[in-house]
Amino acid sequence: MTTAGWLFLVVFWGAIAGLTAWCFSKLLGKP
Amino acid sequence: MTSGGRERWATRLGVVLAMAGNAVGLGNFLRFPVQATQNGGGAFMIPYLAALVFLAVPLMWCEWAMGRMGGREGHGTTPGIFSMLWNHPAAKYIGALGVFLPTAVGIYYVYIESWTLAYAVFSLSGEYAGLSGVAAMRDFLASYQGLAPGHFGGIGTAYVFFLVTLALNAWILRRGIQGGIELLAKIGLPVLFLFAVLLVARVLTLGAPDPAFPDRHVLGGLGFIWNPDFSRLGDAKVWLAAAGQIFFTCSVGFGMIQCYASYLREKDDVVVTGLTTTMTNEFAEVILGGSLAIPIAFAFFGRETTVEIAKSGAFNLGFAAMPIAFQKLPLGNLLGFLWFSLLFLAAITSSVALLQPLMAFLQDELGFSRPRASAAVSLLVFAAVQVPILGLGAGALDEMDFWAGTFGTALFALAETLLFVWVYRPERAWAEIQLGAQVPAPRAFYWVLKYVTPAYLFFLFAAWAWQQGPAVLRMEGVEPGQAPWRWAARGVLLALLAGLWALVRVAWRRRRGERTP
Repeated sequence: MTTAGWLFLVVFWGAIAGLTAWCFSKLLGKP
Repeated sequence: MTSGGRERWATRLGVVLAMAGNAVGLGNFLRFPVQATQNGGGAFMIPYLAALVFLAVPLMWCEWAMGRMGGREGHGTTPGIFSMLWNHPAAKYIGALGVFLPTAVGIYYVYIESWTLAYAVFSLSGEYAGLSGVAAMRDFLASYQGLAPGHFGGIGTAYVFFLVTLALNAWILRRGIQGGIELLAKIGLPVLFLFAVLLVARVLTLGAPDPAFPDRHVLGGLGFIWNPDFSRLGDAKVWLAAAGQIFFTCSVGFGMIQCYASYLREKDDVVVTGLTTTMTNEFAEVILGGSLAIPIAFAFFGRETTVEIAKSGAFNLGFAAMPIAFQKLPLGNLLGFLWFSLLFLAAITSSVALLQPLMAFLQDELGFSRPRASAAVSLLVFAAVQVPILGLGAGALDEMDFWAGTFGTALFALAETLLFVWVYRPERAWAEIQLGAQVPAPRAFYWVLKYVTPAYLFFLFAAWAWQQGPAVLRMEGVEPGQAPWRWAARGVLLALLAGLWALVRVAWRRRRGERTP
């Protein structure tokens, strides 16, 4: 893996995981 | 169970899991890695992200909103829904595409799904345990598919697994929304994710598993997908490939989302629920799917062979390369079982979604009971699938996949965007999306929906038509021997479409007849 590759991976994984977690927190948080 | 006579989803989590099951399929674990590898690696993620933000997310919201709207009037499919958007006799015939496309794809998808079930069984029974080498595994697959002599005497085994798989789908569909599809998703999705996480953990901890080849490190395989080749961004084919992958993986442009959304209650949120489903799909695709097939292939077979396998297609990657790679590891048969079970769960949650629109159409518009609809759908699939089964080697499946799965969905997406946003009016479409929203959709997407998405779709079409259209229509580059089977596949599609148009006509006449005393 190159540095650029790691950068792409970290940014995309982070965004996807973060947004997914946010969505589920909203979904499951609502009474 | 039902409200106002229509089936409803039992819980919000159930909807999300069912829709996620709809979206998460073979494309996440097989098609995505191949597309990313072939189209510039990390750089592919740029057009991929653009397609996700400017195509998939807006279209997804439109489809959820349209579907919920249709459910209010008892329409679970787009012939009825489009008639609500546009008071014109043509609307229902254009809408018929939203039943035609998922059914057409469902026909051959169930066959591929049956391979995953077979291979899950083979992994445990040791049917391919003696084989070493990808070439031997490819022969095993070809023999299973009846394309070449070998381990299997003929296509009998594949046929049996197909019938079992079709029966399973029919049974789930017959059990309905809560007792069938939602229950399948509530069990299947968590198990799918568990299996995927276990396999990703196994793959990413491989290091360089073959001491004779220390440079074949699993991170090198990750690099295949993530190291960016920016020079590819100037190639329109890459942007087309990214858009195609996003469509396929998010299940937009099929009419499937509208169908599932029609079982929502009137004011159920679609903004957060829809986004959750899309993000779950992206998690499965980018994080899990991207960390399995290509990295492990690289670790065991090296760069050149991985490139060759990726070029030869997703089936060879999933059914030939993967099991051989797993065999080289301790508990290889168990890993193979996890892999094919994961694929099977991904596939079956998608295949029921592909076949539900026809179920819904028969029930909603023609008054079929659920058992009768399930039997009718099964018979149709059984009859139609003979062409892709017997014509597999001649490209019949590929032909169906192109017209329905690629070309058709893009065309349908364009039609539904124009109808929902432009004909129905942008303010009304936006209000429909925002109705019941737990968190309102950002206003920027109003402008995206109104201008960017239709323009993007239009340019994709124009680019394809310019680059590939005439050649594909004329079957350029296709071996002469394949032509009859490819024409047979086109015939199946045309017959299905014509049949559905006829049924739409019958349904609407029936409704007019019921209204007049």
